[in-house]
Amino acid sequence: MNPRPRDRTAELQSDSATACVALSNVSVVYPGQENHPAVQALAGFSLMVREQEFVSLIGPSGCGKSTLLRVVSDLIQPTEGTVEVNGRKPAEARLARDVGFVFQDAALLEWRRILENVSLPLELAQMSRKEREERSRELIELVGLRGFEAAWPRQLSGGMRQRAAIARALATKPRVLLMDEPFGALDQITRDRMNMELVGISEATRATVLFVTHSIREAVLLSDRVVVMSPRPGRIVSVIDVELPRPRSLATREDPRYMDLIRLGAAELEKGYAGHGG
Amino acid sequence: MADRFADSERAGIGWLAKAWPLIWPPIATAIIVGVVWEVITIALEIPSYFVPAPSRIWSAFWGNPGALMFHAGVTLLEAVSGLIIGSFLGAILGTGFAYSRLLSRGLLPFVIAANTIPVVAIAPIIILWFGHGIESKIAVTTFLSFFPLALNMMKGLQSYDRTVMDVFHVAAATPAQRFFKMRLPSALPFVFVGIKINVTFSVIGAIVAEFVQADKGLGFVIMTTYRTLNMPRLWAALVISAVIGLVFFAIVTAVERLTIPWHSSMRAEL
Repeated sequence: MNPRPRDRTAELQSDSATACVALSNVSVVYPGQENHPAVQALAGFSLMVREQEFVSLIGPSGCGKSTLLRVVSDLIQPTEGTVEVNGRKPAEARLARDVGFVFQDAALLEWRRILENVSLPLELAQMSRKEREERSRELIELVGLRGFEAAWPRQLSGGMRQRAAIARALATKPRVLLMDEPFGALDQITRDRMNMELVGISEATRATVLFVTHSIREAVLLSDRVVVMSPRPGRIVSVIDVELPRPRSLATREDPRYMDLIRLGAAELEKGYAGHGG
Repeated sequence: MADRFADSERAGIGWLAKAWPLIWPPIATAIIVGVVWEVITIALEIPSYFVPAPSRIWSAFWGNPGALMFHAGVTLLEAVSGLIIGSFLGAILGTGFAYSRLLSRGLLPFVIAANTIPVVAIAPIIILWFGHGIESKIAVTTFLSFFPLALNMMKGLQSYDRTVMDVFHVAAATPAQRFFKMRLPSALPFVFVGIKINVTFSVIGAIVAEFVQADKGLGFVIMTTYRTLNMPRLWAALVISAVIGLVFFAIVTAVERLTIPWHSSMRAEL
């Protein structure tokens, strides 16, 4: 039933050798500035993400979900705790170009056409022009942007820009793909379509995905596991296993278990607030 | 579908047809103003030292076109040389400002102060330092071109998108790659703003410097014709300087269009 069988015991042993992303006891404190007190974004956060697993992080704004992705991608250093990405330090994994990041904002380079935007990471890695063009065309095909290679970013809609950003993040074939509310700025119809596309993309690339979202539906639809977080400082309230059949499709949404999981997720989110006296 | 996004800028033959709506209104304006001006000066018998008729200005130019063109060429050389040298040096300092907080804190107030010095005040000093030749006029236009580029380059290099910077970081970009593939391209629209300011100021600066002291150039022509009240020739020099400024501006705009076709300021195409 599930093409990604999961061994609970291995997971509970927290064996970092089999984990693709391993966070243990991670705390992040943003130092205070003139008028701002220091902020504790994450407190003692531990999570093991297995190879090729799709894990969603869900929780209220400011619960440290984005901070978590920034720690994994070496954009910030944890104040405490250790992080391993494919058995290496985040900085090493980043320099090995083993991490892809899709931000909420597509952040395309306005002065480059779509093809050159997608091939940017390969260009930075000094791959030959011919190779990187070939690879970029494949990716453009994968994300459904064929025909738009020569378009300027400003000529594309929000959804299409985000597709280009996903293709760019996948350019160096990273084993870990981090997505920070990638569809948060899109309208609901586009968002639903992008979700279905992402199902196909993640199954095609077999990358490990860490996906931050505010939508419990989106999280359940896409993930193997949903991590529900509490308000700041972010802690894990609960981890929901999503044992819905793969490949996921539109039919998944009709599955009664899908609705049950969404209800469960919503209840867990509430628990997170309750724990904070809110 | 594949060439759906091919450059409309590269259209080629059709450019005149496309540019025509932009070209004819100013030409029509010039013709109407010229005719009205001509008629009024003749009908009201306005003396030509007061307001010369366009035909008098025209014949003052054609009376000795070689000499006027020579003087125009001198002014143009001073303006262009100063613009290029000053803009280049200004861009380097602006880059320094963008990368070093200490440098910008230490020097920026003085750059802003220097930028407000009127050219008529600084020109005599610079000419005193650099002598009587063309070099001193180039020094004046260099001085004028320096500050707008320094300030715009700094602003431009600081204006990059923070998320794009994160993209470069995650993609393990080197500092040089960040500069050339991200910060410099995002700075280009600002650089062109600075260059356009300099186009105007460098022509004005060259002429003002020639007022102070010169034996050639349009500023020299304007001063000498004023002393002899040869007003049609003065007006001819004035028209030439305006045309130089206009052509110069058009060239920079064309370069801008080719360099940053992606920028939103370029969106309203022909």
